[in-house]
Amino acid sequence: MSTQPGIEERLRAALSARADLVQPEDLSHHAVVVELRPRWQSPWVLLATAAAVLLILGVVFRGLDSSPRSDDLAPKPDAPQLELPADVGRAWKADDLSTPARLDLDGDGVREEVVFLGEPTEDLDGRIRLQTTLSSTGAEAYGIAELGSTIGTNALDPIDADGDGDQELVLYYEDPDAVGGGGYPLVFDLREGLLVQAVAEQPELLVRAQVPVPGSRTEFYELVRVHDYWFEDGRLFSSRSRSSFASGNMSLVRTETILVDAWEWRLDDDGVLRAASIGCLRAGPEALTPCEEGAEEELPYVTPVSTETFGIGEGADFREGYRYSARLEAFADPSLVVVGDEGRTLNYGLEVAAPRVNVQQPSVFLDGASLFVTSASDPSYVEILAQVGDQLRPLKTVGEVELLNEGGVRTWLTENGGVFTVVEGEDDTWQAWVWMLVSRTQMTAMPTGTVCFDDVDDPSSVRSC
Amino acid sequence: MGTRDGATGMLEPAVDITELYAAHRLSLVRLAILLVDDLASAEDVVQDAFASLSRRPDAVKDPSKTLAYLRVSVVNIARSALRRRRTARAYAPPHTLSPPTPEESAILAEEHREVIDALRTLAPRQREVLVLRYWSNLSEAEIAVTLGISPGTVKSTASRALVALERSMQKSLGEEAR
Repeated sequence: MSTQPGIEERLRAALSARADLVQPEDLSHHAVVVELRPRWQSPWVLLATAAAVLLILGVVFRGLDSSPRSDDLAPKPDAPQLELPADVGRAWKADDLSTPARLDLDGDGVREEVVFLGEPTEDLDGRIRLQTTLSSTGAEAYGIAELGSTIGTNALDPIDADGDGDQELVLYYEDPDAVGGGGYPLVFDLREGLLVQAVAEQPELLVRAQVPVPGSRTEFYELVRVHDYWFEDGRLFSSRSRSSFASGNMSLVRTETILVDAWEWRLDDDGVLRAASIGCLRAGPEALTPCEEGAEEELPYVTPVSTETFGIGEGADFREGYRYSARLEAFADPSLVVVGDEGRTLNYGLEVAAPRVNVQQPSVFLDGASLFVTSASDPSYVEILAQVGDQLRPLKTVGEVELLNEGGVRTWLTENGGVFTVVEGEDDTWQAWVWMLVSRTQMTAMPTGTVCFDDVDDPSSVRSC
Repeated sequence: MGTRDGATGMLEPAVDITELYAAHRLSLVRLAILLVDDLASAEDVVQDAFASLSRRPDAVKDPSKTLAYLRVSVVNIARSALRRRRTARAYAPPHTLSPPTPEESAILAEEHREVIDALRTLAPRQREVLVLRYWSNLSEAEIAVTLGISPGTVKSTASRALVALERSMQKSLGEEAR
């Protein structure tokens, strides 16, 4: 098909006419994106520095522009670099789930309202334009943030990390892949009329995450250090656990309180967040307290040991979670009979003499009946039986540790249902492991710390080494 | 890659972004508006292109190629903006449009508006080829480099685009006549 003569001319004229509608005065007063000049790099400081360098090098001086240009600044590969935000997104829209932040950005005692305009993208993962009008000057200030999502942007508590009396806006990047939530805070400081994102000198210390210890990954777990950050009285803090903990199968094996090294983050004149150590803290679920003299990690909860059991001709009721009764009957082999409250009966023939069943249900498996079985005649025997449909089956062990109770490997059940195995190491130390389910029929042991015993036959004598 | 400073041995960016911005922003916004229709989006596209260059000033090895590099950025970013806009139109509830800017209030002659409206109905690649050919006055080889396609594809795309443009204009005229 051929086109009409003149269509090319019409197109050329129309394009030209449309383009010419845009005149210089129609353009917004955008600034070109340049690296922000740190405050110490005033023109005078630059001149003085340049003069000194020229004296030494004898290089011809070509002149310095007083305004910062991206290619004027000498490269400093090791120093964190600030970047002015691009002036984009004026037409972006605020999301219904976002809440404007209110804080005193310019330090005049009046709080500005900062709105969050989301860049429209297919996956709702665009940038956020932060926009406000400064109460002190009436000027517009803006910034750009990348938070991973444009849905529901909300600010954290404002801080005054540089102690200059005005507040910094804090947003957070949420890592969608982090188990139990994770991410890091982004601090925006009003600098040269713009909301400029501060750069953390050691960003690896300013995160909320479980950070893997290199080389620690095994088939079923890896060791991690627990990182966190928090705000207190307008100040920003972060911490890192002193110990590492096993993480796997959606679980983190840790005690209720842990020892952490902590830092306060202060914003320098050059816009860099620098970490100042505030020493050791004991981090618990509700509070952070200074470490006591000679502070040590909590011992893993390997005690108190659950010792109450029943034997042949006896039984017990289990009333936590799935409700059931269990009894040991004597046939050719001892038989364990479990009757659920709904009337379902399970039978399991035990191939061990003088079986003993603990009256505490092991917490390894709670999605049905489960039982911790030992033997009065064979102290090495330990078995955990779990309900799979209409059957009781022993859970298979996988991983580094065997479910045994003899010699240098001891296993017991605690009163809160934890199944622990301790394995003898060097210098009378014992590595403690706690058992976790990894599939409906398999369980593995995850390390939970090194302990010592006055007498390993009496686990209540556990102590730190 | 930058140029090496003989005295310090450090790399300096090969291009002066501030000067480029002053010299080429208007023409790039005009190119962008032919691709994305509205001024706010066009300005964002160009701002993003400069931001991208600012983050990677060494991406342009030859300073004489910088404008070509920016043009490629503008076309690519504009295409992304159109894609996002299509998605937004598909899923977002209608909202009140912002008041027209002075630029938008200016009147485009009727005969030009017919062509521009028809241009908007074309596939993004067709539209890009026509804009680069008939407004930017690029050669087929230059368009090929800009869009990352072969010169033969530029030729065939341009040909089909003109046919589609004409058909769209005729269809529009037919609807008005009814």
